[in-house]
Amino acid sequence: VSCGMAGEEDFFLEEKRFKQYCEDFVKRSQQIGDGWEWRISKDLGDGYLSKTHFQVRNRHIPPDLEEKNNDNTEQMLFAHVEEPLDDSQATGVCSTEEVVRYEYHVLYSSSYQVPVLYFRACFLDGRPLTLDEIWGSVHASYQDRLQDGPWDTITQQEHPILGQPFFVLHPCRTNQFISAVLGGSQEHHRHTNYIILWLSTVGPVVGLHLPLSYAKLAPEQSTDADL
Amino acid sequence: MTDDKDVLRDVWFGRIPTCFTLYQDEITEREAEPYYLLLPRISYLTLVTDKVKKHFQKVMRQEEVNEIWFEYEGTPLKWHYPIGLLFDLHASNTALPWSITVHFKNFPEKDLLHCHSKDVIEAHFMACIKEADALKHKSQVINEMQKKDHKQLWMGLQNDKFEQFWAINRKLMEYPPEDNGFRYIPFRIYQATTERPFIQKLFRPIASGGQLHTLGDLLKDVCPGAITPEDGEQKTQVMIHGIEPMLETPIQWLSEHMSYPDNFLHISIIPRPTD
Repeated sequence: VSCGMAGEEDFFLEEKRFKQYCEDFVKRSQQIGDGWEWRISKDLGDGYLSKTHFQVRNRHIPPDLEEKNNDNTEQMLFAHVEEPLDDSQATGVCSTEEVVRYEYHVLYSSSYQVPVLYFRACFLDGRPLTLDEIWGSVHASYQDRLQDGPWDTITQQEHPILGQPFFVLHPCRTNQFISAVLGGSQEHHRHTNYIILWLSTVGPVVGLHLPLSYAKLAPEQSTDADL
Repeated sequence: MTDDKDVLRDVWFGRIPTCFTLYQDEITEREAEPYYLLLPRISYLTLVTDKVKKHFQKVMRQEEVNEIWFEYEGTPLKWHYPIGLLFDLHASNTALPWSITVHFKNFPEKDLLHCHSKDVIEAHFMACIKEADALKHKSQVINEMQKKDHKQLWMGLQNDKFEQFWAINRKLMEYPPEDNGFRYIPFRIYQATTERPFIQKLFRPIASGGQLHTLGDLLKDVCPGAITPEDGEQKTQVMIHGIEPMLETPIQWLSEHMSYPDNFLHISIIPRPTD
């Protein structure tokens, strides 16, 4: 199994740039009320992006991981709490809904020079979701990707700053798809925020969506013209 | 003068005499005797404690047995850290044998990763090796290896086979003749007193002028607070595999000879005993 790592033509993200993109990302998030914040670690001053939100989860329809033909698009396992429930759910056809608290963190990996998505989820009573429950709640269209692993896979790992168990989306192939999009001419993509691009691609795999408003915002006038 | 290769053997065959005691609140059908075992410093708790589990399961009912976890003086022990690291960090200046408490209930979800099978340990071990090679060789060496070579690294660790392991691992310890060392050194520095589990940063083994960086250089750069200046009283110990290497030791040499099988240097900073 090879994990592609680079030559000079690949697009690597330096830590300073990571912080700049995150700063820009948080500003945009604040403008649209999307709830992301930057948390700084007191001892070493490094930091990470953080967002917490609540989702309604349909507990009794765990998708069968073997049934690849099963079209789950009707059964939206992730529904924002504000969205109206569709009729079948309202009449109790699908049974219990539970609220799950999701916490997403974006950290920088100096070893691979890419951002990494950490997340954890628990029910309101504090019980954490298991890896199976997390796998089960991944949208069906992504499950094939995850099962073929280990390129895109979810494992439980220790959070490098908090020291607690989190789930992590494996960063292995990040550079390849980022390079494919940004690699062409960096000049052309001067104003593309790497974090927005990356998060909008990997986030949905684990139920994290970026509103389209991120793309519509004009980049702010900044002294960091190279961003 | 000891051959450098002897160091590799000494590191591999290091053992910690350990006494496992069942937690008093676990429900047993008769009294559970403690279980004694020599633990390999370079391995992982859940990889080498099958006998411990079997021993305590004999006095328990099947329904009382859930995922095993270990604790030392109230601190849950992270199975994904090598055993030698756990000992150096938490118990190195206490009397042997190391007393570990065994639990089968109330798994501490907020502190420990789950370890439902040996596959989880293998995946973790291989992920560490891959990360180490990303730092040392931009992943070139690990990616050139075949799947069977990866498997041999794991089997060597699992079966305590020094030669089998090093037949492959030696390739991960090489570097191009034009360079004088690895690109970056894979290391993690641990202190039991911090919330942050470890410090890991990019650090080059060779300075721009060509000099070899030392362990002291690494510590000064990465956690300056950990070691006090020479004139002050040295309040801490810098420990790797149960010993305090001289701060003048080239970090490249340490990386090649005193890394754990996962190819990382796991370094503990602990309070110096005052006796």
